[in-house]
Amino acid sequence: MQAKTKYKVEICCGTMCYIMGGADLHLLNDYLPAALRQLVSIEGAPCFGNCDTHEKIHPCVRINGVELPNASTRKIVDKLIILENNDLL
Amino acid sequence: MTYYNNAVITKRELLVRLIKLLDEDTLFEKIDRIPLEMRPRTNSPIRCCVHKDRAVIKYKIMALLGFNIADEQDELTPLSEYAVQAIKGYEQDGNFLTVVDEACSSCVQVNYTVSNLCQGCEGRPCQVNCPKDAIMVLNGKANIDHQKCVNCGICQKACPFHAIAYLPVPCEESCPVKAIRKNANGIEEIDFEKCIHCGKCMTACPFGAISGKSQILNLYYNIKHKQEKTVAMVAPAILSQFKANSSQIINAIKEIGFDEVVEVAEGANLTTDHETQELIERLNEGASFMTTSCCPSYIEFAEKHAPELKPFISDTPSPMGYTAQLARKRFPDHKTVFIGPCLAKRKEAYKNKDVDYVVTTEELGAMFGALKIDVNIKTDSNPDTVVRPESRGYAASGGVTNAIQAILSSEQQIKTELIDGLDKKSIRLLKSLPKKNALGADFYEVMACDGGCINGPVNIAPYKMSQSKLKQAINELKTVESVQ
Repeated sequence: MQAKTKYKVEICCGTMCYIMGGADLHLLNDYLPAALRQLVSIEGAPCFGNCDTHEKIHPCVRINGVELPNASTRKIVDKLIILENNDLL
Repeated sequence: MTYYNNAVITKRELLVRLIKLLDEDTLFEKIDRIPLEMRPRTNSPIRCCVHKDRAVIKYKIMALLGFNIADEQDELTPLSEYAVQAIKGYEQDGNFLTVVDEACSSCVQVNYTVSNLCQGCEGRPCQVNCPKDAIMVLNGKANIDHQKCVNCGICQKACPFHAIAYLPVPCEESCPVKAIRKNANGIEEIDFEKCIHCGKCMTACPFGAISGKSQILNLYYNIKHKQEKTVAMVAPAILSQFKANSSQIINAIKEIGFDEVVEVAEGANLTTDHETQELIERLNEGASFMTTSCCPSYIEFAEKHAPELKPFISDTPSPMGYTAQLARKRFPDHKTVFIGPCLAKRKEAYKNKDVDYVVTTEELGAMFGALKIDVNIKTDSNPDTVVRPESRGYAASGGVTNAIQAILSSEQQIKTELIDGLDKKSIRLLKSLPKKNALGADFYEVMACDGGCINGPVNIAPYKMSQSKLKQAINELKTVESVQ
């Protein structure tokens, strides 16, 4: 078992998310700033079940349980930095 | 290599929507609504206006249905009419790329442009050094005359302010054989006398203006309505494209409705055996070297650009060729469907009567998405033990060499070289080989995509992930072997 980390990033591995750009998110670890790397765990998750909406939401991730639609590596990193900065205040 | 970008996502969304409609039996009624749904009035337009955006979507669909955009007779022909024809299967002409002229932004005619950094200096080295007298200074700023400029780049080098920028035309720049050029209207046009179907222009264009011609609707219609029995031939690279193990991926493919599945790696076993034998025979007969024959883009390159190389290319059929023979023998009433990461395989399949359809990784992913097939379902089935681990390795550069060396005895060892990716430099080297085998190798493995099939133009997973997933797929077989 991995030690519990401060931020848990779950990447939706449902097929729609995966083909709509989710595949690239699995390389997230390479883009994390060094200061964050130890604090973040990255895992694949089964489909979040949001696929039936007509809006374009793919790919989806969850950061500590909060969903982030239309995710990109950049967006996830930004979100994590904001969370961490707020925490330091 | 495909970088994740919105044009790629648009293509995948279109594929998913088309397959979904076909699956719900509403393709003909709803296909003409796709451009409206994907580009609603409320969104801010990507190009000049929403109507242009919709027209782009329409023509991208037309290409995905398998039509040449240039063949359009009447601009008012609705997509539903094309869809009816696509379901029946379009008549193939041996060319599998088409330029979506509506989407082509007609990138710069001249690659050099003067930016606002221009100081209008007294020295004017750009103007003085231009061999074609193409630069004029107007209102204190240099201007390039597009009629005169020949793209030599001297002005850029001469400017001490770095005020002259180089603007590439991505498709032209990426093409290793200069097969794509502008026509009189400034729209790109592919010269099929030269094109080797490597797909580099398609992945390079940020407007998504170059599209492969897909057979997916025809195939899926036949599967869904049980018009044909089908056998899927799964290329080893496919096993590197999803976050699942190889049995899970193969099971998901069955769930689409394919009656049988064979791994192309099984055919690769035969390619390895025959190619090794052929290599030894040829070297004994005094040939200076031999190259691989499994990359269809390389074969097309040799045919169109370097006929002097042809005698040196192995005559052994590719893994797809052998697998198709096996599939025909085992399932004589089935249609054979190659599933792989390659555009050029469409060309190889076109020439090989044993292959009926070619499906790309993206199209496979779109089918999974549209039909809501989860690749990650648990399975108990074990991997096919007839497949050698080295045969799955064919999907990465160096894989063929590795497979051949694995069956050579220690006294037979040969010197090998890898041509990893067809670009201007490796093409120069390849062309020089028949005259002088400068590298002195006995065996050259040639891959048009650098990194091999796992870095193909129509893949889903990023290259780095494909590498580790392929290793995993190879190791799965190794563990099975050691258990037995």
